[in-house]
Amino acid sequence: MSIEIRNISKRFGNFVALDNINLDIPTGELVALLGPSGCGKTTLLRIIAGMESADQGEILFSGAEATHLHARERNVGFVFQHYALFRHMTVFENVAFGLRVKPRKERPSESEIKRRVMELLGLVQLDWLADRYPSQLSGGQRQRIALARALAVEPKVLLLDEPFGALDTKVRKELRRWLRRLHDDMHISSVFVTHDQEEALEVADRVVVMNHGRIEQIGSPDEVYSAPATPFVYQFLGNVNVFHSRVQGGYAEVERSETPEKATAFVRPHDIDIARQPTEGALAATVAHVHPIGPVVRVELQHGGEIVEVELSRERHEALQLAVGQGVWFRPRQMRVFGADNQPKPPSEKQAFLF
Amino acid sequence: MRPLGAFVPLRHSAYSMSAKNHRVLPGFGLALGYTLVYLSLLILLPLGGMVLKASELGFGQIIDIALGERSLAAFRVTFGASLLAALINAFFGLIVAWVLVRYPFPGKRFVDALVDLPFALPTAVAGITLATLYAGNGWLGSHLEPLGIKVAYTPLGIVFALTFITLPFVVRTLQPVIEDIETEVEEAAATLGASRWQTFVKVIFPAIGPALLTGFALAFARALGEFGSVIFIAGNLPLVSEIVPLLIISKLEQYDVLGATALAVVMLAISFVLLLAINALQWWAANRHKNAEPLEVAAGKAGKEAEA
Repeated sequence: MSIEIRNISKRFGNFVALDNINLDIPTGELVALLGPSGCGKTTLLRIIAGMESADQGEILFSGAEATHLHARERNVGFVFQHYALFRHMTVFENVAFGLRVKPRKERPSESEIKRRVMELLGLVQLDWLADRYPSQLSGGQRQRIALARALAVEPKVLLLDEPFGALDTKVRKELRRWLRRLHDDMHISSVFVTHDQEEALEVADRVVVMNHGRIEQIGSPDEVYSAPATPFVYQFLGNVNVFHSRVQGGYAEVERSETPEKATAFVRPHDIDIARQPTEGALAATVAHVHPIGPVVRVELQHGGEIVEVELSRERHEALQLAVGQGVWFRPRQMRVFGADNQPKPPSEKQAFLF
Repeated sequence: MRPLGAFVPLRHSAYSMSAKNHRVLPGFGLALGYTLVYLSLLILLPLGGMVLKASELGFGQIIDIALGERSLAAFRVTFGASLLAALINAFFGLIVAWVLVRYPFPGKRFVDALVDLPFALPTAVAGITLATLYAGNGWLGSHLEPLGIKVAYTPLGIVFALTFITLPFVVRTLQPVIEDIETEVEEAAATLGASRWQTFVKVIFPAIGPALLTGFALAFARALGEFGSVIFIAGNLPLVSEIVPLLIISKLEQYDVLGATALAVVMLAISFVLLLAINALQWWAANRHKNAEPLEVAAGKAGKEAEA
């Protein structure tokens, strides 16, 4: 089932939670709503689920108006960050709940319910826990049960609100992959909310980056990472070095030719080369810190009053043999420039550069 | 109140640990000894004395006094009115507690404080106030009586007084439990297709059921012993609107101490059995959602599964 979101706005008192949101989610896609807390992503998800009503705008499910449908009529599965399992029911009864509350005519027989529930529990690999109570399960197990419960009513859309937010890193990684497989097997549309960029980039087909109730960018994980549409997206997704033209004299020179306005350049830490000898167009700096972190080595360079973060591969770092306090030269391989209006500047003929 | 629900499995693990586990706060022996002495002095001693006094009469005599026409009627009125009052409060108290927890509204703190007033007010004051209100010439009574509803000086008046007195027990017992229910659970039920009624019956009610039962039991127990507020509104007609506590007092006034203790012992016995039954029911309600298997065993299995 496809979801179309048209001009949705929502305020809580004076706080604008959603400001004229437009978004299409085609059938079968796994979409991540990504943004910092308070950006409106959860509100948007709740509006899609029918738990919150929008002040204006409309929601269409498969092209049909669904704005005023009650949550129970929308046929969506919802997974909460804190599981929201029914504490007084066994795992089996939790999963069976959606089937048992169906109107008598549509309700499957007891044996059919048992078969379906055990099948779902098998799918989440927890069939041996059927007669346990939620309080006896670990966080990861609870969330898998919550997923099985949501899937029991065969929803056309699966909505997940920070589904792995309360779990530890290792379990989270495992469940992430598992969710992706599940989504592919079930042929449904899924929307999940997260503030974890790694999660969004790894799992989703498409990432919707939100901030202050607006959509900043919609694109594939690769697009939003390597071609961020706004400075916010640049800063939110991954680390970035920010160079302001006023601070960095060399950079202003490039822009001087046509536009005298203020501009900002963004450079990813792994897009910077370090050399021990001065090379053409490189800037001098001193090494302030060297942190080996797993596969990469993060180097902080002191350049004038600013810290520049650089990520090197281990091999490169071993070749360079950087020591704290050492003088080096660095130059960005790739960068993106935004004007004062936060619009990206087309790459100029002369490679926009710092020097 | 006994902690409900989710925490109970932990108790299993506490049991299975060795006796020499280290507690953060020491002094279990001292505290237990103190508890037993305190309860003995406060509850067992007076009640024991009463039973001892009553034993001067034979069992048959006690039964004879209790089954006398007047005392039987008094027992019926006392237990009937108390049960009715506790039931009324179980229903309306639940609504009050729900509203106070779930909805923000202006003056909420004020309303919340009002709930405690029946605790604080001298019961006689409450009785006189209610009697004045519901008497034939009172503000409410003058409107009710033309409709054929007589409240003051009837058993109905007793129910009214007891309902007033026992309201806080239900509300105050339910409030923390309702606060504990996440709204997300209701939303989850809704997305799974449950109607509002199904959500209440299958999700909300099982969660608050044990606490509701506790509140009901407390209200019922309090109503059984209530005296001050009832005598002013009841009219105290023997066989019609006379409650057991009043009957006991009137026996004492006639220096029939043994008769009074006999009634008291019967009252005590019935109350004790009823409260015990309610407690058992409550224990069952709170524990039927637990499995016998301790948490560690389940965790061990989970670990094995993760390795596999």
